[in-house]
Amino acid sequence: MSYSRAFAVSAVVVVTALIAVPSVSMHSAAAATPAKAVVSHSVAPAPNGIPDTISAINAAQPLSQRVVHYEMDARLDAKKKSLDATEVLTYRNLTGRPQDTFPFHLYLNAFQPKSTFVAEARRDREIDFDFDWEKKVASEEIKSIEVEGMGDLTKQIQFIAPDDGNVDDRTVFQIKLPRPVLPGEDVKFRISFHDQFGEVVARTGYKRDFLLGGQWFPKVGVWWKDAWNCHQFHDSTEFFADFGVFDVKLTVPQNEIVGASGIEVASTNNPDGTKTVQFHGDDIHDFAWTVQPDYRVFTDTFQSSMGPVTMRLLMQPGHADQAARHMKILRQSMQRFNDWYGPYPYKQITVVDPPHGGKEAGGMEYPTFITGDTDWWQPDGLHLVEAVVEHEFGHQYWYGMVATNEFEEAWMDEGINQYTEAKVMDDVLGQDRSMVDLWGVKAGEFGVDRIGYMSQPDRDPMTRFGYKFMNFGTYGTTSYFKTATVLHTLEKVVGQDTMRRALRTYFMKYRFTHPTGEDFLKTVEEVSGQNLRWYFEQAVNGTQVLDYEILKVNSERTDWFGKNLPDEKKGVTVYHTEVTVHRKGDFIFPVDVLVRFDNGETARERWDGRDRWIRYSYDKKAKALSAEIDSERAIGLDKDEFNNSYLSQGDETGRHKLVHYWIVLQQFAGQMLAWFA
Amino acid sequence: MLNTQGLVTEGRRLVWRNQRVLWWLFAANLLLAAFGAEPLAVKLAGLTDHSVAAQRFTQGFDLTALAELLSQPGFGFGSYALSSLFCNVIFFAFTIFVTGGILESFRSSRRLTTAQFFEASGHYFWRWIRQMLLFLVVMAPVLGLGSAINSWSDTLSSDAAPEKLGFWVMLGGAVLTLLLAMIVRLWFDMAQVQIVATDQRSVVRSVGRAFKLTFSNFRALFFMYLRISLVGWTALLFGLWVWIRLIPATRFMLSFLVLELTLLTWLATRLWQRASETAWYRSYETANPPVAPVIMDAPLVYPLATSEPTETVLASEGARPAMPPEAEPQPS
Repeated sequence: MSYSRAFAVSAVVVVTALIAVPSVSMHSAAAATPAKAVVSHSVAPAPNGIPDTISAINAAQPLSQRVVHYEMDARLDAKKKSLDATEVLTYRNLTGRPQDTFPFHLYLNAFQPKSTFVAEARRDREIDFDFDWEKKVASEEIKSIEVEGMGDLTKQIQFIAPDDGNVDDRTVFQIKLPRPVLPGEDVKFRISFHDQFGEVVARTGYKRDFLLGGQWFPKVGVWWKDAWNCHQFHDSTEFFADFGVFDVKLTVPQNEIVGASGIEVASTNNPDGTKTVQFHGDDIHDFAWTVQPDYRVFTDTFQSSMGPVTMRLLMQPGHADQAARHMKILRQSMQRFNDWYGPYPYKQITVVDPPHGGKEAGGMEYPTFITGDTDWWQPDGLHLVEAVVEHEFGHQYWYGMVATNEFEEAWMDEGINQYTEAKVMDDVLGQDRSMVDLWGVKAGEFGVDRIGYMSQPDRDPMTRFGYKFMNFGTYGTTSYFKTATVLHTLEKVVGQDTMRRALRTYFMKYRFTHPTGEDFLKTVEEVSGQNLRWYFEQAVNGTQVLDYEILKVNSERTDWFGKNLPDEKKGVTVYHTEVTVHRKGDFIFPVDVLVRFDNGETARERWDGRDRWIRYSYDKKAKALSAEIDSERAIGLDKDEFNNSYLSQGDETGRHKLVHYWIVLQQFAGQMLAWFA
Repeated sequence: MLNTQGLVTEGRRLVWRNQRVLWWLFAANLLLAAFGAEPLAVKLAGLTDHSVAAQRFTQGFDLTALAELLSQPGFGFGSYALSSLFCNVIFFAFTIFVTGGILESFRSSRRLTTAQFFEASGHYFWRWIRQMLLFLVVMAPVLGLGSAINSWSDTLSSDAAPEKLGFWVMLGGAVLTLLLAMIVRLWFDMAQVQIVATDQRSVVRSVGRAFKLTFSNFRALFFMYLRISLVGWTALLFGLWVWIRLIPATRFMLSFLVLELTLLTWLATRLWQRASETAWYRSYETANPPVAPVIMDAPLVYPLATSEPTETVLASEGARPAMPPEAEPQPS
């Protein structure tokens, strides 16, 4: 950008710079000599390459520090499932230092035989990864890349593998500019690229005439903690990008129904049988789209505290009868997020229902655009539709607006979202039945989270980088379920209301930024007014397992040694009761112990849980009926709930029920086997 | 010959008359299942009897509580499943063993004593083993067909444009496989009936004859078999419906009773099929008596110049074991 142009708009930019660009200093109109800069090197004039549009949000001004502006013009070949596009990326250097090297993601190149993604998928799933090469290969090829004012730099493209050194992995390239981009300066990349989509795998691709374009364009990395953060695409990682503005034109056959991030601003029929649909997104960091000729479209409006939001559903024809169910849970989720955590500021949310066989595109989130997951048979008592839609909407907050680094801190979006999913689902559908309430069988969200956590409680800490987990399984159980259980247990420490306030504070403070895990933990401590490091060190950074048990409950008459003892009489005989509580696991956590006596009395003890065991003694004219740790079942992290209590007079009902049902099952199996006789 | 309805009724009558067979078989089924479940019961006792958490099973049924229980370290559910599987195999072997006695009971016009029952059981046992091997060989392609259709339906569920096509193919394949399996089962049932009726030693010959018999009277036999099967399935579905819909989760003994009655009915319909098959064969024999050569067991005495006729002894094919005099069947 030339200095003279910078002067002409400096008045506008000064205000913007004061608000949004702290590292940029002002230049005088003459600008013959650079003004004194905040930093030690010269700084370019304030730029104007990224628009301040607000048409896609219910706000009077931009909500984020806009680093990027993607202008893309893409033409889809629906028969070949390929796409040719030009991308003009305006990048604003807010890094505070000159930059001459820029890394880019080319995610679609992950779907090739020698990529890191495929190698990890084959390793972790312990089976031949179902990669039918004729159908599923995909690619993202850069045809040319120019930098405005610096010429064609296509030959400067250098593929790198910063995570594992895999020279065959083409999901990251970098380009070195002939001259650096100064702090505050904008740089414009003009990229021409060609995408070949494969049959849907890992969120993107086609199935029959459905196509979902996710991670389809060259995306610049993020300047993060004083370095470029641009990871390869791994089997167990997602994405990370800067906020900005998206203006995307998609040219597709006229019969296609198109859905995308942001809002549709124009649609023009072309003489060649195609149409060009234009979308615009403000303050988002990614852009996805979908086409299918026979989507059934449903719309409704939600009134958020910032303004009306269009809810747009793109359903498969065979699932149209489930539109109301999708819309209902979406509305319920939006209302609760609005009330509990903060407003949804965008003017639209699009929900896409992928087709059968295209499930790998389901259950995914992009800013203002999510995919559900259902099929033709979904009984009302099985709440999978609700869980997926709620979860993916939740990601609009945890990832979409609070844009954490999904490569390095997956727990921050997946885990926090899994926790809030359970809160919302319990509130909407009832605790203990929010996942399943069918044919007498029930299951609640937190119960499911616990099971997930308990399957692998001690393999990896939550803070591990996503691609460094032991395998895909531990990534899932730790990032999703352990985190949700950790947060659920944290409620026990700080209280439910405080937890909700902490999340609200965290959202409102860090939306449209890239917070770290430490930011979240500090927020919880600040809101609760408690030092919670003892908890976070074990739960978040560690792999300690929490397990407390009632080891022994014993009531014995105090006069046991006498001769000719009178008969025991309730309310008369004095008993000495001992309750021993043992810490089986390595996780130290304060626990409540509730002891009940047969005269109706109770004793509630609080133990700091530090030592390996503790014993409580009572002398009463009553025997102990039971002792129970955590009677409210609030310590979700406790790995074994069955050893948390002891009933002096056992109750065999539970066992008998299970065993009798097992007997019935085996009788039936025996009779079926005997049919072969 | 009796018509289908008549055979079904006759079969029911035979089961009722020999209902002790049903009770023995059911008792064996229940006791073996209970025995196989004993190790599980012992393990669960330590985990649930003194735990408040077990209330999550008794106050409704919390699936996550079950998952948590099964995931207990050292629980090793697989070993308990093996224990039950072992008992199921014993029941299977027991069923093979008593099949001869069951069919003999249905065939005989007199009630068999216990000794006769088990003697008949033992008499045919090894023939059933040989026949079962043939049965498995014939069933293999039927099951293979079912598996292939199932695999095809999986592909259709993913790739076919109509979403439900895969489901309908799976359902159709399951029905086809079931029908074919029933036909094969009927065929081999008739082979067993024929073996008992004629004391046929050659299993292969018996299977061959039963093939001709079954398929030349297919309609009558198959619809008789199918009707009784439908009764069994209806009873099963009804029992499950009552259990799920009408009985509160806290009343598990009532649930158990309902389920046991359902299983008893299921077992009874299987015996009912065997009885009806036996009744059909008897009816067939009556309509088509076997023509056998005259065999001279002992020298005939021809008294000179007597006008009294002599008796000619006719012997049937094969030889049944002789019943000891004290074991002669008693009139019922």
